[in-house]
Amino acid sequence: MKTWKKFSHIDARTVEEASSVLRSGKAALISGGTDLLGIMRFEILPTHPEVVVNLKSIPGMDYVKEENGMLRIGALTRLEDIAKNELVRSRYTALAEAAHRTATPHIREMGTIGGNICQLNRCWYFRNPDNRFNCFRKGGQECYAWGGDNRYHSIFGPVKLCIAVNPSDTAPALVALNARIRTNRRTIQAEQFWEMTVPGSTVLAVDEIVTEIQIPTPAAGTRSAFNKFAIRKSIDFPIVNCAVMVGESDARICLNAVFNKPYRAEKAEGFIKGKRITESTADAAGAEAVAAASVLPGDRNKWKIPIAKTMVKRALLACA
Amino acid sequence: MPKDKNLEGKEVSGHISRRDFLRDAGLVVGAPTLGTISASAAAAETAEIALPAAAADPGSQPEFIQIELTVNGDVYRRAVEPHWTLRQLLRDQIGLTSPKDWCGGYGACGSCTVIMNGRPILSCLTLACECNGATVETAEGIAKAKHPIIQAYINHNAFQCGYCTPGFVCTAKALLDRNGDPTEADVRDALGGNLCRCGTYQQHPLAVIEAAGNLKESA
Repeated sequence: MKTWKKFSHIDARTVEEASSVLRSGKAALISGGTDLLGIMRFEILPTHPEVVVNLKSIPGMDYVKEENGMLRIGALTRLEDIAKNELVRSRYTALAEAAHRTATPHIREMGTIGGNICQLNRCWYFRNPDNRFNCFRKGGQECYAWGGDNRYHSIFGPVKLCIAVNPSDTAPALVALNARIRTNRRTIQAEQFWEMTVPGSTVLAVDEIVTEIQIPTPAAGTRSAFNKFAIRKSIDFPIVNCAVMVGESDARICLNAVFNKPYRAEKAEGFIKGKRITESTADAAGAEAVAAASVLPGDRNKWKIPIAKTMVKRALLACA
Repeated sequence: MPKDKNLEGKEVSGHISRRDFLRDAGLVVGAPTLGTISASAAAAETAEIALPAAAADPGSQPEFIQIELTVNGDVYRRAVEPHWTLRQLLRDQIGLTSPKDWCGGYGACGSCTVIMNGRPILSCLTLACECNGATVETAEGIAKAKHPIIQAYINHNAFQCGYCTPGFVCTAKALLDRNGDPTEADVRDALGGNLCRCGTYQQHPLAVIEAAGNLKESA
């Protein structure tokens, strides 16, 4: 059985305190721990955090409330609580559905929304135990997926030579719902939140911590939906997922697990805006969404393109 | 003073003697100087936190954190290392072997499920040091309390080899605690994170729904 590398543990009492520990560059944050502990136990990264800073000990970061024309969700709110929240289900449907389709019930009971949007990307070379593949995303000199088995990888090409995909289910819902992500430093539009770094997946600075998710309350008549394709109905990460929000004259469509970060299908949005959603317009919007898709060497990820198209179509039809 | 129970169920004092401490920590007697017992709260006294000694020097002595938690109604005080998981604590320190290690710590199988503070959680992905003050329930506790879920699982043969069963039972009990009248879809949804290699999946909704009925009758 794999043994753990040792680390120290601190229960933070305030966000600032946690941030000050992060500044050392040798610390990692833990909230639900479902991504972090796997990464640490299997030593997938070349470096190992020396200190783990617990955010769960900070009071008042677990809430869902609607005020001042927006929904405010504390970063430490567990996914299951979001999925079951009546308010979220009725007016922010895409997010409730996305939270409900994430991983397993147990992981939803543990995992938080802040952690879900900050999780590292998925690629089986990147995530191989003991840092067996020291790839671009770890500061190495090679992408093993590019010439290897890339059946689950990006259909919209690489970013800085990395073709790993962002596996978050809630991320596309937040982009579709035009959310803002508040940190201890600033407020970031959801679309600008994700970026390829080594080895991270977000634009957060080393000592920056997500504190709150804000979603503007949609206008009356606006509908949103989320759809996910995975090998197994529960447990699995998405092969492709899609969240859409459709208003009278507005449409936002976001795919995930197809690119380095949530992929907003702007062409499809332009196509469907103002149109009545029918079987044929939804299908055409799906085709627009994957018009720019390309296959990686070996054609192994080609199958994801029609799935992405169908996810867009079904998510749109769910809003019809 | 909270009372501990040792593996034979005898009550022992909650005070941790040096001998207990060494035993609990899995250290051999005669090891060099003990690691400092640093409660995390104490380490966090100042706003600008100095990194703990172990962080500055990874070769230094292990650091222990004192925790107190309630497991199946009994209070346990233990000194744990930061990297210990709740599953390790329950199995190796407290002697409750129902949380299993199947997938190896990925959170992919559900066989280590326990109920913590009312939530079904994976004990392999929970740090023991973060369970201070928690209330934990394992399959042993559910069986000891004669919860109807146990007999329902037997009635419906909802297991074959039985390895995954404690995880299923904990998940099902947590569901029944929240939802006294689950539909088959509710049960399938709630048990979606538990794997069974024997393939007994068809039997679980039957068992859980029967247990729900028995619970309502006895209420």
